[in-house]
Amino acid sequence: MATITLPKAKGYERPLILDWITTVDHKKLGILYLYVSLFFFAVGGILALLVRTQLAVADNTFLSNQAYNQIFTMHASAMLFLFIIPIWAGFGNYVVPLQIGAPDMAFPRINALSFWLFPPAGIVMFSGFLVSGGSASAGWTAYSPLARTLGTGMDLWIIAVAMLGVSSTIGAANFLVTMFRMRAPGMTMFRMPIFCWTVLVTSVLQLLATPVLASALVMLFIDRNFGGNFFDPNGGGNAVLWQNVFWFYSHPAVYIMILPGMGIISEILPVFSRKPLFGYKAFVFATMGIGGLGFSVWAHHMFTTGAVLKPWFGFMTFMIGVPTGVKIFNWLGTLWRGSITFETPMLFALGFLSMFLIGGINGTFSAAVPVDFALHDTYFVVAHIHYVLFGGSVFAVFAGLYYWFPKIWGRRLNEKLGQFHFALMFIGFNLAFFPMHLLGLDGMPRRIATYNDYNNWELLNFISTLGAMLIGVGMIPFIVNVVQAFMRPKDQPNDPWGANTLEWWTTSPPPVHNFDDTPEIHSERPLFDLRQGSPGGH
Amino acid sequence: MPTTRMRRPLRRALFLVSVAALALLTFATASAQSGQPKGITDEARDMHTLYVFTLVMAVVVFVLVEAALVYAIVKFRKKNDVLPAQTHGSTIIEMIWTGIPVLIVISLFTYSFIVLRNVENDPNPAAVVIDVTGFQYQWEFAYHLDAKGANLDPDSPPTITQIGTAADEPILRIPVDEPIEFRLKSNDVIHSFYVRDFLYKLDVIPGRDNRFTVTAREEGTYIGQCAELCGLNHALMRFQIEVMSREKFNEWVASESAAASPAARVP
Repeated sequence: MATITLPKAKGYERPLILDWITTVDHKKLGILYLYVSLFFFAVGGILALLVRTQLAVADNTFLSNQAYNQIFTMHASAMLFLFIIPIWAGFGNYVVPLQIGAPDMAFPRINALSFWLFPPAGIVMFSGFLVSGGSASAGWTAYSPLARTLGTGMDLWIIAVAMLGVSSTIGAANFLVTMFRMRAPGMTMFRMPIFCWTVLVTSVLQLLATPVLASALVMLFIDRNFGGNFFDPNGGGNAVLWQNVFWFYSHPAVYIMILPGMGIISEILPVFSRKPLFGYKAFVFATMGIGGLGFSVWAHHMFTTGAVLKPWFGFMTFMIGVPTGVKIFNWLGTLWRGSITFETPMLFALGFLSMFLIGGINGTFSAAVPVDFALHDTYFVVAHIHYVLFGGSVFAVFAGLYYWFPKIWGRRLNEKLGQFHFALMFIGFNLAFFPMHLLGLDGMPRRIATYNDYNNWELLNFISTLGAMLIGVGMIPFIVNVVQAFMRPKDQPNDPWGANTLEWWTTSPPPVHNFDDTPEIHSERPLFDLRQGSPGGH
Repeated sequence: MPTTRMRRPLRRALFLVSVAALALLTFATASAQSGQPKGITDEARDMHTLYVFTLVMAVVVFVLVEAALVYAIVKFRKKNDVLPAQTHGSTIIEMIWTGIPVLIVISLFTYSFIVLRNVENDPNPAAVVIDVTGFQYQWEFAYHLDAKGANLDPDSPPTITQIGTAADEPILRIPVDEPIEFRLKSNDVIHSFYVRDFLYKLDVIPGRDNRFTVTAREEGTYIGQCAELCGLNHALMRFQIEVMSREKFNEWVASESAAASPAARVP
């Protein structure tokens, strides 16, 4: 048989940089999200170390009051707006289309727009350090009328957060359409991987809450620049109004910052326990429950204003502990009678489980309104938020990075270095943040640039600073690990972990179009079903 | 071979987790010992009891769940290649572990609601009224008392006014065993009036009339500080509060009134 050998068609190849700048591929955008948000994680981390250095000893003069206020404000703003929220968009972008067997997001160009609003927003926010008066310094909560009195850095902050708001809103719509319309044949909603469910609920929260933040930011901008008085009582406005609109966004935003992390944990625990997630549907409903209740608890940040209905918001805040508890029990139920191995993603997942538990429990203290009178705006609350967002979200970020690294970059991170990274981070984290509970109980307010030692706050602060430094040191093995991995060739099989979901069906890394075909889907674990040769289901 | 290779990192991880758990437990015990000051007002004592109740619940839940976690990690680690039973869930178990948290949070809520009703007193006409004005960056304390220490109409101009500076932290003086009403005012930004040993803070909000009443039961000097970020020198908005006997308080009022009277001001 005669054959004609055709020359292999050469695609149009763009220069590498142009290719990354113009890409609409969800995987490349996901990777860009991961890179940029990890960059801001590093920046926010350095700012945190400056804060901790200032507080290491009493009456320290390492930072001026002005510098301190700017630095802690930018630490929180970077970590929340430029790291945690966008890194979930990064994981979501990369993983969601693969997990549902889709070739890309529903609106690839809108997806690119979402991403390309993000780095400029970061630049705008940080350019505050270059203007007179410095960056924003009213805390990430930007309480008014204080926020009205500050310099141009505050306007840059408002513009940056508004840009990020637009980015998340259109990104959320994109995720929802993708998950509603582009699932592979056979993948019903209740066969969707749990990570997708958490991104779905997160997207709903973003879609409903972010516009409220946008309106608050516009009002604040008008107050500052065009003589408005929305939040200034001296002109007839209401100072508490800002807190209401701000927290109406920002409390759901806390769930925006943690739910995808819970989703990642819920992917990892079943894989390394070799069991399905215990109570998949209960987990989905608990996620929805947290999302729904998340809109009815915002004023628990405002008990000490005396301007809110305390019993109602206290009650709803307690209630949100119930679906959170259900999730923790479901994770334990997944481990129970499993066959558990301890690869690095699992170490971070178990770290999440043990630390997020504390973040859940210490939250109940603030739900008890009369206890909150003492704890509000003290270091106890700082401890709480870090047990949730560091012990929770950041551990989940690293769990996800170690877990999907082979899929995204085709190489596996070294286990020894991973364990070392985990050990340093776990110990450093507890050293840094556990003492903050005691400081808060002992009356140390948050956001103070200095303290004097008649309170005996110095020792605990010093321990906390050491812990923060240890977390910083813990990033070294991680960076070494990543650099070493990139120096090795891509050698990972489709499914190095024996995982359950569709992203592991395709090659590592996946081709541009993701899949040549998708298997039959009978449950939320199509790959497990294939390995066992039996249709699953639950 | 694979099992022995798995074991070492596993043991290390377990060791790490148990050391951390132990450390946390020690911390938790320590915080039960000295965590929160007991408070010096009637209201604070109520709130402290609620705090201890919440802490006990928290420690019990923490210990049980972490113990279950450590047990699962130790007991159910991979021993062979046999696939474990693929249990997808159990409605009964789900109902139990939804029900238990519901009971816990309802009991906590009920108790905290009762305490809330107790500590948010109605205004007491017999209370000594002190106007507290927060400003960037210190406090002004104004007392409505006659020269003998008896209450005057709170709407009349104050007779004693103390204005603090960062270098000279003001000392707020109150008599023990008497209801004191604090009326909080601000003309610039939001501050928060926080006395650690009251276990209480209330925001000082421009355009809003916030007030609270407490009865202090222990004489002594305590620390107070602004608890709401209010700008550049927020950290320097410290003050002290001295709780003293009625006799001492009257003496102080008399001396301050004399100092403030027009005759005394003549150089």
